[in-house]
Amino acid sequence: MTKLVDPRLADTVGVLFQRTLKTRYRGSFLGVLWSAVSPFAMAAVYSAIFGHVFAAQYGNSVVRYASAVYIGLAVSQLFIAGTAQALPSIVAGSGLLNKIRIPFEAFPLSIVAAYGFQQLVGTLPVLAILTLIDTHDPLHVIALLVPLASLAMLIVGVALIVSGADVFFRDIPYIYDLATFFILLTCPIFYPASIVAPNVLRFLALNPLFQIIEEMRALILTNDWPDPATTALTLGEGALLFAAGIAAFAAMRSHFMEEL
Amino acid sequence: MIKLDRVRLERRTREEHAQDLKARLFALFTGRYRSPRRKTVLDDVSLAIKRGEKIGIIGPNGAGKSTLLKMICGVLHPTSGSVRVDGRVAPMLELGAGFDPDLTVVDNIVLYGVLLGVPRRDMIQRIDAILAFAELEDYREFPVRALSSGMMARLGFAIATDVPAEILLIDEALSVGDESFRARSRERIDSLWHADRTIVLVSHDLTTVRSICDRTIWIAHGRVMGDGPTEDVVREYVRSVDQTAIALLMRARKATAERIS
Repeated sequence: MTKLVDPRLADTVGVLFQRTLKTRYRGSFLGVLWSAVSPFAMAAVYSAIFGHVFAAQYGNSVVRYASAVYIGLAVSQLFIAGTAQALPSIVAGSGLLNKIRIPFEAFPLSIVAAYGFQQLVGTLPVLAILTLIDTHDPLHVIALLVPLASLAMLIVGVALIVSGADVFFRDIPYIYDLATFFILLTCPIFYPASIVAPNVLRFLALNPLFQIIEEMRALILTNDWPDPATTALTLGEGALLFAAGIAAFAAMRSHFMEEL
Repeated sequence: MIKLDRVRLERRTREEHAQDLKARLFALFTGRYRSPRRKTVLDDVSLAIKRGEKIGIIGPNGAGKSTLLKMICGVLHPTSGSVRVDGRVAPMLELGAGFDPDLTVVDNIVLYGVLLGVPRRDMIQRIDAILAFAELEDYREFPVRALSSGMMARLGFAIATDVPAEILLIDEALSVGDESFRARSRERIDSLWHADRTIVLVSHDLTTVRSICDRTIWIAHGRVMGDGPTEDVVREYVRSVDQTAIALLMRARKATAERIS
């Protein structure tokens, strides 16, 4: 009975994914537009405030600085909002879970998929255009899929962990809120990583989002290929958290119904 | 088809809700952590249900009837003992559960069916038949929130009984919709009855149990008190309820008498 993957998982995620898209992002065109535009607006504000300070690090170009901020915002937003929306999903589904046997993981997975989908539809074209403008190299656009794969694994792993933990401890949302604040602060979103003191940078580099953002920036804004060691590191960190998420979820799931 | 062998289920009691990570860590740290109390909900329950049987489950509130259904449909797992179920199980949910009020009727049919375990593709093919039975053809693209509660009940009933499941679990009465629909749902129940389908019905309504079920299981305090032909078990159950009522009445009268004297 306890197979590793429930054969109904794909269909269940599918219907819940569609439900989320249809209900939460009703009039999804506006939602998609919003997901593309809101980082723009924030990037514009950051550029107005910090542009003249940091432009030097971006070849004296405020536009390049703004692009770097946009990338940082798009990536961090995807991670933080994606995981935060998945967090309460199992508890929210407790009514149904008490009546029908549904694979638990369908709830966080469908939320992550729906949020990621509507977010990427808005931001991916922007990122692709930025890449083509700065590098004139379509290969760089395709290569964006590598850090995005690391990001996806990271998000799914963390979403499984926090949504499962939420079943046991109802203060997880507040704790995770605080955690995301730290994650956000230690990400080089509106400042270049090069301004951070080297001994502090060593610790910031442990933040997987940090590396993914830097990798994306290298691909989008420069003609250099990212350091293979960094790519291996981000993929490794993504795979590690993905595996940790699956393992933690597998350990927690048999105790879920006790709490729901 | 369904086999429970010496099933025991313990659940955490609900009164203590120290579900706080901070509080838990603090309690662990100061050594004041106690593991939550547990209560036995089902105890030593063994039963075997054969294919096509129509089973009624009766007993007082809190006896563990609904818990037993949850075990059969795989929502809960036994603390000890074993549960074996062969075939697809379709629980019939109460009004509105399993629907998303913001989705259209058609989307809800697919959602509900997939949640019950039917492949998406099969569910899409069944849409028209389900709409026809529920008499909701004109409401295809309406959000479910726009339906009356009677319509919603019809829709739920139509889906649950259309699902190709070998085992149908029904918790509480089938008072669904208006007279004409009730007659037809009665017909459908009868057709399910004729088919090979296994039905497990939990109900307080002894008349329904008598008319649908040929075998009845009486549960009290998480244990099986009686299991056999419906007439016999219901008679025994009613007698025990009467006796309890009489005992209560006697005690009350005695207490009153004592107070007066």
